[in-house]
Amino acid sequence: MEQRTPTLRSVAWLWFGITIAVLVVGFRQAIFLVPTEATMGNVQRIFYYHLPHAVLGLIFPYVNFIASLAYLFWRRRDPLKALTADALAVAAAEVTVLFVGIGLLSGMLWAKPAWGIWWAWDARLTTYLLLWLLYVSYLLLRRYSPSGQTGTFGAVLSVFAAIDVPIVYMSIQWWRTQHPAPVFGPNGGGIDPSFVPAVLWNMAGWAMWGVLILLFRFALERRRQLAEQEAALVAIEASLEIPQ
Amino acid sequence: MTYLRHVLDHLRKDLRLEWRSRDSINGMLFFALLVVVVFGLAFDPTSYPTITRQISGAILWVALLFASITALNQSWTREQSNNVLEAQRMAPSPASALFLGKALANLLFVLTVEAVLAPIFIVFFNLHALGNVWLLTLILPLGTWALVVNGTFFAALGLRARNRELLLPLLLLPVSLPALLAMVQATTGVLTAELDPIQIGTWIKQLAGYDIIFTTICILLFETVLNAE
Amino acid sequence: MTWQSFFDFSTMSHRHLIFVYAGIWLIQGAYLGWIAWNWSHTKGSRH
Repeated sequence: MEQRTPTLRSVAWLWFGITIAVLVVGFRQAIFLVPTEATMGNVQRIFYYHLPHAVLGLIFPYVNFIASLAYLFWRRRDPLKALTADALAVAAAEVTVLFVGIGLLSGMLWAKPAWGIWWAWDARLTTYLLLWLLYVSYLLLRRYSPSGQTGTFGAVLSVFAAIDVPIVYMSIQWWRTQHPAPVFGPNGGGIDPSFVPAVLWNMAGWAMWGVLILLFRFALERRRQLAEQEAALVAIEASLEIPQ
Repeated sequence: MTYLRHVLDHLRKDLRLEWRSRDSINGMLFFALLVVVVFGLAFDPTSYPTITRQISGAILWVALLFASITALNQSWTREQSNNVLEAQRMAPSPASALFLGKALANLLFVLTVEAVLAPIFIVFFNLHALGNVWLLTLILPLGTWALVVNGTFFAALGLRARNRELLLPLLLLPVSLPALLAMVQATTGVLTAELDPIQIGTWIKQLAGYDIIFTTICILLFETVLNAE
Repeated sequence: MTWQSFFDFSTMSHRHLIFVYAGIWLIQGAYLGWIAWNWSHTKGSRH
Protein backbone atom coordinates (compact mmCIF):
# COMPACT_ATOMS: atom_id res chain seq x y z
CA MET A 1 0.00 0.00 0.00
CA GLU A 2 2.90 2.35 0.76
CA GLN A 3 4.36 1.83 -2.72
CA ARG A 4 1.01 1.90 -4.48
CA THR A 5 -0.31 5.24 -3.26
CA PRO A 6 2.04 7.71 -4.99
CA THR A 7 1.71 5.82 -8.31
CA LEU A 8 -2.05 5.71 -7.90
CA ARG A 9 -2.12 9.44 -7.24
CA SER A 10 -0.09 10.21 -10.37
CA VAL A 11 -2.33 8.02 -12.47
CA ALA A 12 -5.40 9.73 -11.02
CA TRP A 13 -4.06 13.21 -11.78
CA LEU A 14 -3.05 12.10 -15.27
CA TRP A 15 -6.50 10.68 -15.91
CA PHE A 16 -8.05 13.90 -14.65
CA GLY A 17 -5.87 15.95 -16.96
CA ILE A 18 -6.67 13.85 -20.01
CA THR A 19 -10.39 13.89 -19.16
CA ILE A 20 -10.44 17.68 -19.01
CA ALA A 21 -8.52 17.85 -22.29
CA VAL A 22 -10.97 15.48 -24.01
CA LEU A 23 -13.93 17.41 -22.62
CA VAL A 24 -12.49 20.70 -23.88
CA VAL A 25 -12.02 19.22 -27.34
CA GLY A 26 -15.56 17.86 -27.14
CA PHE A 27 -16.91 21.26 -26.17
CA ARG A 28 -15.10 22.89 -29.06
CA GLN A 29 -16.43 20.28 -31.46
CA ALA A 30 -19.97 20.56 -30.18
CA ILE A 31 -20.24 24.32 -30.15
CA PHE A 32 -17.91 25.64 -32.82
CA LEU A 33 -16.97 23.00 -35.34
CA VAL A 34 -19.97 20.80 -35.98
CA PRO A 35 -22.54 22.28 -38.40
CA THR A 36 -25.88 23.57 -37.15
CA GLU A 37 -28.74 21.16 -37.49
CA ALA A 38 -31.25 22.05 -40.18
CA THR A 39 -34.60 21.77 -38.40
CA MET A 40 -33.81 22.50 -34.76
CA GLY A 41 -31.06 25.02 -35.03
CA ASN A 42 -28.42 25.57 -32.42
CA VAL A 43 -30.45 24.14 -29.57
CA GLN A 44 -29.71 20.72 -31.01
CA ARG A 45 -26.17 21.10 -29.66
CA ILE A 46 -27.60 20.16 -26.28
CA PHE A 47 -27.72 16.65 -27.70
CA TYR A 48 -23.93 16.33 -27.51
CA TYR A 49 -24.06 16.69 -23.74
CA HIS A 50 -27.41 15.02 -23.24
CA LEU A 51 -26.55 11.77 -25.01
CA PRO A 52 -23.42 10.80 -23.02
CA HIS A 53 -25.17 11.50 -19.73
CA ALA A 54 -28.26 9.56 -20.74
CA VAL A 55 -26.28 6.54 -21.93
CA LEU A 56 -23.87 6.50 -18.98
CA GLY A 57 -26.85 6.84 -16.66
CA LEU A 58 -27.91 3.39 -17.84
CA ILE A 59 -24.51 1.81 -17.26
CA PHE A 60 -23.75 2.88 -13.70
CA PRO A 61 -26.87 1.20 -12.24
CA TYR A 62 -25.43 -2.10 -13.44
CA VAL A 63 -22.20 -1.37 -11.60
CA ASN A 64 -24.31 -0.81 -8.49
CA PHE A 65 -26.27 -4.01 -9.09
CA ILE A 66 -23.17 -6.15 -9.53
CA ALA A 67 -21.52 -4.58 -6.49
CA SER A 68 -24.69 -5.21 -4.46
CA LEU A 69 -24.75 -8.87 -5.49
CA ALA A 70 -21.08 -9.15 -4.58
CA TYR A 71 -21.88 -7.59 -1.21
CA LEU A 72 -24.66 -10.09 -0.51
CA PHE A 73 -22.39 -12.94 -1.57
CA TRP A 74 -19.43 -11.91 0.58
CA ARG A 75 -21.44 -10.65 3.55
CA ARG A 76 -20.98 -13.81 5.59
CA ARG A 77 -18.00 -15.28 3.78
CA ASP A 78 -15.47 -12.44 3.70
CA PRO A 79 -16.64 -9.26 5.44
CA LEU A 80 -13.71 -7.16 4.26
CA LYS A 81 -14.39 -7.88 0.61
CA ALA A 82 -18.07 -7.21 1.30
CA LEU A 83 -17.17 -3.80 2.68
CA THR A 84 -15.28 -2.93 -0.49
CA ALA A 85 -18.22 -4.08 -2.61
CA ASP A 86 -20.52 -1.92 -0.54
CA ALA A 87 -18.28 1.12 -1.07
CA LEU A 88 -18.45 0.57 -4.83
CA ALA A 89 -22.23 0.12 -4.67
CA VAL A 90 -22.85 3.42 -2.93
CA ALA A 91 -20.42 5.25 -5.22
CA ALA A 92 -22.13 3.83 -8.30
CA ALA A 93 -25.56 4.77 -6.92
CA GLU A 94 -24.57 8.39 -6.35
CA VAL A 95 -23.03 8.66 -9.80
CA THR A 96 -26.19 7.10 -11.27
CA VAL A 97 -28.40 9.71 -9.61
CA LEU A 98 -26.06 12.40 -10.91
CA PHE A 99 -25.93 11.23 -14.52
CA VAL A 100 -29.58 10.23 -14.80
CA GLY A 101 -30.65 13.49 -13.20
CA ILE A 102 -28.55 15.49 -15.62
CA GLY A 103 -29.91 13.36 -18.48
CA LEU A 104 -33.47 14.16 -17.43
CA LEU A 105 -32.84 17.88 -16.97
CA SER A 106 -30.92 18.34 -20.21
CA GLY A 107 -33.54 16.31 -22.06
CA MET A 108 -36.34 18.50 -20.74
CA LEU A 109 -34.46 21.71 -21.50
CA TRP A 110 -33.88 20.44 -25.04
CA ALA A 111 -37.41 19.17 -25.58
CA LYS A 112 -39.21 22.40 -24.78
CA PRO A 113 -37.68 24.57 -27.52
CA ALA A 114 -37.29 21.69 -29.97
CA TRP A 115 -40.67 19.95 -29.73
CA GLY A 116 -42.74 22.29 -27.57
CA ILE A 117 -43.30 19.95 -24.62
CA TRP A 118 -41.31 19.50 -21.42
CA TRP A 119 -42.21 15.85 -20.96
CA ALA A 120 -44.06 12.85 -22.36
CA TRP A 121 -45.10 9.71 -20.56
CA ASP A 122 -43.69 7.25 -23.05
CA ALA A 123 -41.84 4.06 -22.13
CA ARG A 124 -38.33 5.41 -22.38
CA LEU A 125 -38.82 8.60 -20.41
CA THR A 126 -41.03 7.08 -17.73
CA THR A 127 -38.53 4.30 -17.16
CA TYR A 128 -35.75 6.84 -16.95
CA LEU A 129 -37.60 8.92 -14.37
CA LEU A 130 -38.36 5.78 -12.44
CA LEU A 131 -34.70 4.78 -12.46
CA TRP A 132 -33.85 8.15 -10.96
CA LEU A 133 -36.56 7.83 -8.28
CA LEU A 134 -35.46 4.32 -7.38
CA TYR A 135 -31.85 5.35 -6.89
CA VAL A 136 -32.77 8.45 -4.92
CA SER A 137 -34.81 6.22 -2.64
CA TYR A 138 -31.81 3.84 -2.50
CA LEU A 139 -29.63 6.64 -1.19
CA LEU A 140 -32.29 7.75 1.28
CA LEU A 141 -32.81 4.20 2.50
CA ARG A 142 -29.08 3.95 3.14
CA ARG A 143 -29.02 7.23 4.95
CA TYR A 144 -31.98 6.42 7.18
CA SER A 145 -31.10 2.81 7.93
CA PRO A 146 -29.52 1.93 11.24
CA SER A 147 -25.79 1.52 10.79
CA GLY A 148 -24.71 -2.03 10.17
CA GLN A 149 -27.76 -2.67 8.04
CA THR A 150 -27.21 -0.05 5.36
CA GLY A 151 -25.30 -2.39 3.10
CA THR A 152 -27.81 -5.19 3.28
CA PHE A 153 -30.87 -3.02 2.85
CA GLY A 154 -29.25 -1.17 -0.02
CA ALA A 155 -28.34 -4.42 -1.73
CA VAL A 156 -31.88 -5.75 -1.38
CA LEU A 157 -33.33 -2.58 -2.87
CA SER A 158 -30.78 -2.77 -5.67
CA VAL A 159 -32.12 -6.21 -6.59
CA PHE A 160 -35.67 -4.81 -6.66
CA ALA A 161 -34.58 -1.94 -8.85
CA ALA A 162 -32.73 -4.20 -11.28
CA ILE A 163 -35.85 -6.32 -11.75
CA ASP A 164 -38.34 -3.48 -11.75
CA VAL A 165 -36.78 -1.21 -14.35
CA PRO A 166 -37.03 -3.62 -17.30
CA ILE A 167 -40.58 -4.57 -16.27
CA VAL A 168 -41.61 -0.93 -16.20
CA TYR A 169 -40.12 -0.38 -19.64
CA MET A 170 -41.87 -3.38 -21.13
CA SER A 171 -45.25 -2.67 -19.58
CA ILE A 172 -45.35 0.96 -20.68
CA GLN A 173 -43.98 0.05 -24.10
CA TRP A 174 -46.81 -2.42 -24.51
CA TRP A 175 -49.31 0.13 -23.26
CA ARG A 176 -48.10 2.79 -25.64
CA THR A 177 -48.38 0.57 -28.67
CA GLN A 178 -52.06 0.35 -27.79
CA HIS A 179 -52.41 4.11 -27.37
CA PRO A 180 -49.85 5.96 -29.48
CA ALA A 181 -48.38 8.91 -27.71
CA PRO A 182 -46.28 11.83 -28.96
CA VAL A 183 -42.99 10.29 -29.95
CA PHE A 184 -40.02 12.53 -29.81
CA GLY A 185 -36.32 12.30 -29.39
CA PRO A 186 -33.46 11.46 -31.68
CA ASN A 187 -34.91 8.39 -33.28
CA GLY A 188 -35.28 7.14 -36.82
CA GLY A 189 -32.16 6.86 -38.92
CA GLY A 190 -28.65 7.37 -37.74
CA ILE A 191 -26.69 10.48 -37.01
CA ASP A 192 -25.40 12.56 -39.87
CA PRO A 193 -21.67 11.85 -40.27
CA SER A 194 -20.75 15.49 -39.83
CA PHE A 195 -22.08 15.32 -36.27
CA VAL A 196 -20.13 12.22 -35.35
CA PRO A 197 -16.90 13.89 -34.08
CA ALA A 198 -18.83 15.91 -31.50
CA VAL A 199 -20.75 12.84 -30.37
CA LEU A 200 -17.62 10.71 -30.04
CA TRP A 201 -15.44 13.27 -28.28
CA ASN A 202 -18.14 14.11 -25.78
CA MET A 203 -19.06 10.49 -25.21
CA ALA A 204 -15.42 9.67 -24.54
CA GLY A 205 -14.93 12.73 -22.37
CA TRP A 206 -17.97 12.17 -20.17
CA ALA A 207 -17.29 8.45 -19.90
CA MET A 208 -13.80 9.25 -18.63
CA TRP A 209 -15.28 11.81 -16.26
CA GLY A 210 -17.80 9.24 -15.03
CA VAL A 211 -15.05 6.72 -14.32
CA LEU A 212 -13.04 9.44 -12.59
CA ILE A 213 -15.78 10.48 -10.18
CA LEU A 214 -16.89 6.90 -9.62
CA LEU A 215 -13.42 5.82 -8.56
CA PHE A 216 -12.82 9.02 -6.61
CA ARG A 217 -16.08 8.53 -4.71
CA PHE A 218 -15.18 4.87 -4.18
CA ALA A 219 -11.80 5.88 -2.81
CA LEU A 220 -13.46 8.41 -0.50
CA GLU A 221 -15.83 5.75 0.80
CA ARG A 222 -12.94 3.34 1.39
CA ARG A 223 -11.02 6.08 3.17
CA ARG A 224 -14.03 6.66 5.44
CA GLN A 225 -14.44 2.96 6.09
CA LEU A 226 -10.77 2.58 6.98
CA ALA A 227 -10.88 5.65 9.22
CA GLU A 228 -13.90 4.14 11.01
CA GLN A 229 -12.13 0.83 11.43
CA GLU A 230 -9.07 2.52 12.88
CA ALA A 231 -11.17 4.62 15.22
CA ALA A 232 -12.86 1.45 16.42
CA LEU A 233 -9.48 -0.22 16.88
CA VAL A 234 -8.16 2.75 18.86
CA ALA A 235 -11.24 2.67 21.07
CA ILE A 236 -10.78 -1.04 21.74
CA GLU A 237 -7.07 -0.60 22.51
CA ALA A 238 -7.86 2.27 24.83
CA SER A 239 -10.43 0.22 26.70
CA LEU A 240 -7.86 -2.56 27.15
CA GLU A 241 -5.39 -0.19 28.72
CA ILE A 242 -7.64 0.82 31.58
CA PRO A 243 -5.52 0.49 34.69
CA GLN A 244 -6.62 -2.29 37.04
CA MET B 1 -47.47 -28.65 5.15
CA THR B 2 -45.73 -27.28 8.23
CA TYR B 3 -44.79 -24.22 6.21
CA LEU B 4 -48.43 -23.59 5.45
CA ARG B 5 -49.28 -24.10 9.09
CA HIS B 6 -46.67 -21.51 10.09
CA VAL B 7 -48.11 -19.05 7.58
CA LEU B 8 -51.62 -19.62 8.91
CA ASP B 9 -50.41 -19.18 12.49
CA HIS B 10 -48.83 -15.85 11.65
CA LEU B 11 -51.95 -14.85 9.75
CA ARG B 12 -54.22 -15.73 12.65
CA LYS B 13 -51.97 -13.83 15.05
CA ASP B 14 -52.12 -10.67 12.96
CA LEU B 15 -55.85 -10.92 12.42
CA ARG B 16 -56.45 -11.38 16.12
CA LEU B 17 -54.23 -8.46 17.08
CA GLU B 18 -55.91 -6.23 14.56
CA TRP B 19 -59.36 -7.29 15.65
CA ARG B 20 -58.60 -6.20 19.21
CA SER B 21 -57.70 -2.63 18.37
CA ARG B 22 -59.02 -2.21 14.83
CA ASP B 23 -57.04 1.00 14.36
CA SER B 24 -55.49 -0.04 11.05
CA ILE B 25 -58.80 -0.78 9.41
CA ASN B 26 -60.48 2.26 10.87
CA GLY B 27 -57.64 4.48 9.73
CA MET B 28 -57.77 3.05 6.22
CA LEU B 29 -61.53 3.33 5.94
CA PHE B 30 -61.58 6.88 7.08
CA PHE B 31 -58.75 7.90 4.79
CA ALA B 32 -60.35 6.26 1.76
CA LEU B 33 -63.69 7.84 2.53
CA LEU B 34 -62.02 11.21 2.79
CA VAL B 35 -60.39 10.76 -0.60
CA VAL B 36 -63.73 9.85 -2.19
CA VAL B 37 -65.40 12.92 -0.73
CA VAL B 38 -62.59 15.28 -1.73
CA PHE B 39 -62.53 13.98 -5.29
CA GLY B 40 -66.29 14.13 -5.40
CA LEU B 41 -66.19 17.79 -4.46
CA ALA B 42 -63.38 18.52 -6.88
CA PHE B 43 -64.81 16.85 -9.97
CA ASP B 44 -68.57 16.84 -9.47
CA PRO B 45 -68.85 13.29 -10.76
CA THR B 46 -72.60 13.09 -10.95
CA SER B 47 -72.83 15.71 -13.67
CA TYR B 48 -70.21 14.16 -15.93
CA PRO B 49 -70.82 10.41 -16.04
CA THR B 50 -68.48 9.66 -18.94
CA ILE B 51 -65.50 11.45 -17.42
CA THR B 52 -66.31 9.95 -14.05
CA ARG B 53 -66.14 6.45 -15.46
CA GLN B 54 -62.81 7.25 -17.07
CA ILE B 55 -61.15 8.52 -13.91
CA SER B 56 -62.86 6.41 -11.24
CA GLY B 57 -60.44 3.56 -11.69
CA ALA B 58 -57.47 5.82 -11.08
CA ILE B 59 -59.11 7.52 -8.09
CA LEU B 60 -59.99 4.19 -6.53
CA TRP B 61 -56.47 2.86 -6.79
CA VAL B 62 -54.83 6.07 -5.64
CA ALA B 63 -57.12 6.10 -2.61
CA LEU B 64 -56.30 2.47 -1.84
CA LEU B 65 -52.58 3.03 -2.37
CA PHE B 66 -52.37 5.87 0.11
CA ALA B 67 -54.74 4.22 2.56
CA SER B 68 -52.72 1.03 2.59
CA ILE B 69 -49.48 2.93 3.09
CA THR B 70 -50.83 4.29 6.36
CA ALA B 71 -51.69 0.77 7.50
CA LEU B 72 -48.56 -0.99 6.24
CA ASN B 73 -46.25 1.03 8.43
CA GLN B 74 -48.29 0.05 11.47
CA SER B 75 -48.30 -3.63 10.62
CA TRP B 76 -44.68 -4.04 11.63
CA THR B 77 -44.74 -1.83 14.70
CA ARG B 78 -46.77 -4.60 16.31
CA GLU B 79 -43.62 -6.69 16.18
CA GLN B 80 -41.49 -4.10 17.86
CA SER B 81 -43.12 -3.93 21.28
CA ASN B 82 -41.83 -6.43 23.85
CA ASN B 83 -38.94 -7.42 21.55
CA VAL B 84 -41.25 -9.67 19.61
CA LEU B 85 -39.07 -9.31 16.52
CA GLU B 86 -36.11 -10.87 18.30
CA ALA B 87 -38.31 -13.78 19.27
CA GLN B 88 -39.42 -14.12 15.63
CA ARG B 89 -35.79 -14.25 14.52
CA MET B 90 -35.04 -17.05 16.94
CA ALA B 91 -38.13 -19.03 16.08
CA PRO B 92 -37.49 -22.16 14.00
CA SER B 93 -40.14 -21.29 11.44
CA PRO B 94 -38.74 -19.80 8.22
CA ALA B 95 -38.69 -16.01 8.09
CA SER B 96 -40.70 -15.99 4.88
CA ALA B 97 -43.61 -17.61 6.72
CA LEU B 98 -43.74 -14.57 8.99
CA PHE B 99 -43.66 -12.35 5.92
CA LEU B 100 -46.38 -14.26 4.07
CA GLY B 101 -48.63 -14.40 7.10
CA LYS B 102 -48.34 -10.67 7.60
CA ALA B 103 -48.79 -9.90 3.91
CA LEU B 104 -51.92 -12.07 3.79
CA ALA B 105 -53.29 -10.33 6.86
CA ASN B 106 -52.67 -6.95 5.23
CA LEU B 107 -54.34 -8.23 2.08
CA LEU B 108 -57.44 -9.16 4.03
CA PHE B 109 -57.53 -5.75 5.70
CA VAL B 110 -57.27 -3.86 2.43
CA LEU B 111 -59.83 -6.13 0.76
CA THR B 112 -62.20 -5.37 3.64
CA VAL B 113 -61.68 -1.68 3.04
CA GLU B 114 -62.36 -2.20 -0.67
CA ALA B 115 -65.54 -4.07 0.09
CA VAL B 116 -66.76 -1.12 2.13
CA LEU B 117 -65.45 1.44 -0.35
CA ALA B 118 -67.05 -0.04 -3.47
CA PRO B 119 -70.68 0.76 -2.58
CA ILE B 120 -69.60 4.22 -1.37
CA PHE B 121 -67.97 4.82 -4.71
CA ILE B 122 -71.01 3.64 -6.58
CA VAL B 123 -73.27 5.88 -4.56
CA PHE B 124 -71.21 9.07 -4.41
CA PHE B 125 -69.98 8.85 -8.00
CA ASN B 126 -73.20 7.51 -9.49
CA LEU B 127 -71.03 4.85 -11.00
CA HIS B 128 -72.54 2.50 -13.51
CA ALA B 129 -70.03 0.06 -14.93
CA LEU B 130 -70.46 -0.57 -18.62
CA GLY B 131 -68.27 -3.64 -18.88
CA ASN B 132 -68.23 -7.01 -17.18
CA VAL B 133 -68.27 -6.19 -13.45
CA TRP B 134 -67.29 -9.72 -12.44
CA LEU B 135 -63.84 -9.08 -13.85
CA LEU B 136 -63.37 -6.64 -11.01
CA THR B 137 -63.50 -9.51 -8.55
CA LEU B 138 -60.35 -10.74 -10.28
CA ILE B 139 -58.65 -7.38 -10.76
CA LEU B 140 -59.14 -6.04 -7.25
CA PRO B 141 -57.49 -8.89 -5.32
CA LEU B 142 -54.61 -9.18 -7.82
CA GLY B 143 -53.97 -5.46 -7.71
CA THR B 144 -54.26 -5.30 -3.94
CA TRP B 145 -51.82 -8.16 -3.54
CA ALA B 146 -49.31 -6.35 -5.74
CA LEU B 147 -49.45 -3.31 -3.45
CA VAL B 148 -49.55 -5.29 -0.23
CA VAL B 149 -46.72 -7.72 -0.93
CA ASN B 150 -44.22 -5.01 -1.82
CA GLY B 151 -45.61 -2.71 0.86
CA THR B 152 -45.16 -5.27 3.63
CA PHE B 153 -41.62 -5.94 2.46
CA PHE B 154 -40.59 -2.31 2.30
CA ALA B 155 -42.29 -1.54 5.61
CA ALA B 156 -40.03 -4.19 7.14
CA LEU B 157 -37.00 -2.54 5.53
CA GLY B 158 -37.80 0.78 7.13
CA LEU B 159 -38.63 -0.68 10.52
CA ARG B 160 -35.79 0.83 12.49
CA ALA B 161 -35.04 3.61 10.09
CA ARG B 162 -35.33 7.17 11.24
CA ASN B 163 -37.79 8.55 8.75
CA ARG B 164 -39.87 5.42 8.48
CA GLU B 165 -43.07 7.11 7.27
CA LEU B 166 -41.24 8.81 4.43
CA LEU B 167 -39.37 5.75 3.32
CA LEU B 168 -42.30 3.47 2.58
CA PRO B 169 -44.08 5.59 -0.08
CA LEU B 170 -40.72 6.57 -1.54
CA LEU B 171 -39.77 2.96 -2.06
CA LEU B 172 -43.20 1.57 -2.85
CA LEU B 173 -44.35 3.94 -5.56
CA PRO B 174 -41.58 3.47 -8.12
CA VAL B 175 -41.50 -0.29 -7.65
CA SER B 176 -45.29 -0.63 -7.93
CA LEU B 177 -45.57 1.43 -11.08
CA PRO B 178 -46.06 -1.43 -13.56
CA ALA B 179 -48.69 -2.99 -11.32
CA LEU B 180 -50.45 0.36 -10.83
CA LEU B 181 -50.54 0.88 -14.56
CA ALA B 182 -52.03 -2.56 -15.12
CA MET B 183 -54.64 -2.33 -12.38
CA VAL B 184 -55.78 1.16 -13.28
CA GLN B 185 -55.98 0.35 -16.98
CA ALA B 186 -57.86 -2.88 -16.31
CA THR B 187 -60.31 -1.25 -13.89
CA THR B 188 -60.94 1.67 -16.21
CA GLY B 189 -61.33 -0.75 -19.11
CA VAL B 190 -64.03 -2.61 -17.23
CA LEU B 191 -65.82 0.53 -16.09
CA THR B 192 -65.84 2.28 -19.45
CA ALA B 193 -65.99 -0.82 -21.66
CA GLU B 194 -63.56 0.96 -24.00
CA LEU B 195 -61.18 -1.98 -23.97
CA ASP B 196 -62.18 -5.29 -25.45
CA PRO B 197 -61.96 -8.41 -23.24
CA ILE B 198 -58.67 -9.51 -24.82
CA GLN B 199 -56.94 -6.29 -23.84
CA ILE B 200 -58.35 -6.40 -20.33
CA GLY B 201 -57.24 -10.01 -20.20
CA THR B 202 -53.71 -8.98 -21.13
CA TRP B 203 -53.62 -6.38 -18.37
CA ILE B 204 -54.84 -8.97 -15.89
CA LYS B 205 -52.17 -11.38 -17.06
CA GLN B 206 -49.52 -8.68 -16.65
CA LEU B 207 -50.79 -8.00 -13.15
CA ALA B 208 -50.69 -11.70 -12.29
CA GLY B 209 -47.17 -11.97 -13.71
CA TYR B 210 -46.04 -9.00 -11.63
CA ASP B 211 -47.60 -10.59 -8.54
CA ILE B 212 -45.80 -13.87 -9.09
CA ILE B 213 -42.42 -12.26 -9.77
CA PHE B 214 -42.45 -9.92 -6.82
CA THR B 215 -43.95 -12.40 -4.37
CA THR B 216 -41.08 -14.73 -5.23
CA ILE B 217 -38.47 -12.02 -4.79
CA CYS B 218 -39.94 -10.88 -1.47
CA ILE B 219 -40.08 -14.41 -0.10
CA LEU B 220 -36.49 -15.09 -1.16
CA LEU B 221 -35.09 -11.85 0.19
CA PHE B 222 -37.03 -11.56 3.44
CA GLU B 223 -34.67 -13.82 5.33
CA THR B 224 -31.82 -11.44 4.43
CA VAL B 225 -33.76 -8.43 5.65
CA LEU B 226 -34.85 -9.97 8.92
CA ASN B 227 -31.35 -11.10 9.81
CA ALA B 228 -29.64 -8.01 8.48
CA GLU B 229 -27.24 -7.53 11.33
CA MET C 1 -21.23 29.25 -33.86
CA THR C 2 -18.90 31.82 -32.37
CA TRP C 3 -18.32 32.87 -28.79
CA GLN C 4 -20.58 35.87 -29.33
CA SER C 5 -23.47 33.87 -30.70
CA PHE C 6 -23.01 31.32 -27.91
CA PHE C 7 -23.66 33.87 -25.20
CA ASP C 8 -26.91 35.01 -26.77
CA PHE C 9 -29.72 35.14 -24.22
CA SER C 10 -32.49 36.38 -26.51
CA THR C 11 -34.45 33.25 -27.41
CA MET C 12 -35.48 30.29 -25.27
CA SER C 13 -33.47 27.96 -27.50
CA HIS C 14 -30.27 29.85 -26.83
CA ARG C 15 -30.98 30.26 -23.15
CA HIS C 16 -31.60 26.55 -22.77
CA LEU C 17 -28.39 25.74 -24.61
CA ILE C 18 -26.42 27.83 -22.16
CA PHE C 19 -28.33 26.48 -19.16
CA VAL C 20 -27.52 22.94 -20.17
CA TYR C 21 -23.83 23.46 -20.83
CA ALA C 22 -23.19 25.73 -17.87
CA GLY C 23 -25.48 23.71 -15.63
CA ILE C 24 -23.80 20.42 -16.41
CA TRP C 25 -20.34 21.82 -15.78
CA LEU C 26 -21.57 23.34 -12.52
CA ILE C 27 -23.29 20.22 -11.24
CA GLN C 28 -20.46 17.88 -12.16
CA GLY C 29 -17.89 20.27 -10.80
CA ALA C 30 -19.86 20.67 -7.57
CA TYR C 31 -20.01 16.91 -7.09
CA LEU C 32 -16.28 16.57 -7.71
CA GLY C 33 -15.68 19.43 -5.30
CA TRP C 34 -17.87 17.80 -2.67
CA ILE C 35 -15.89 14.56 -2.95
CA ALA C 36 -12.62 16.46 -2.75
CA TRP C 37 -13.79 18.47 0.27
CA ASN C 38 -14.82 15.30 2.09
CA TRP C 39 -11.55 13.67 1.10
CA SER C 40 -9.56 16.41 2.77
CA HIS C 41 -11.78 16.19 5.85
CA THR C 42 -11.36 12.44 6.31
CA LYS C 43 -8.39 11.27 8.26
CA GLY C 44 -5.89 9.38 6.14
CA SER C 45 -4.95 5.83 6.89
CA ARG C 46 -2.08 5.23 9.31
CA HIS C 47 -0.73 2.46 7.09
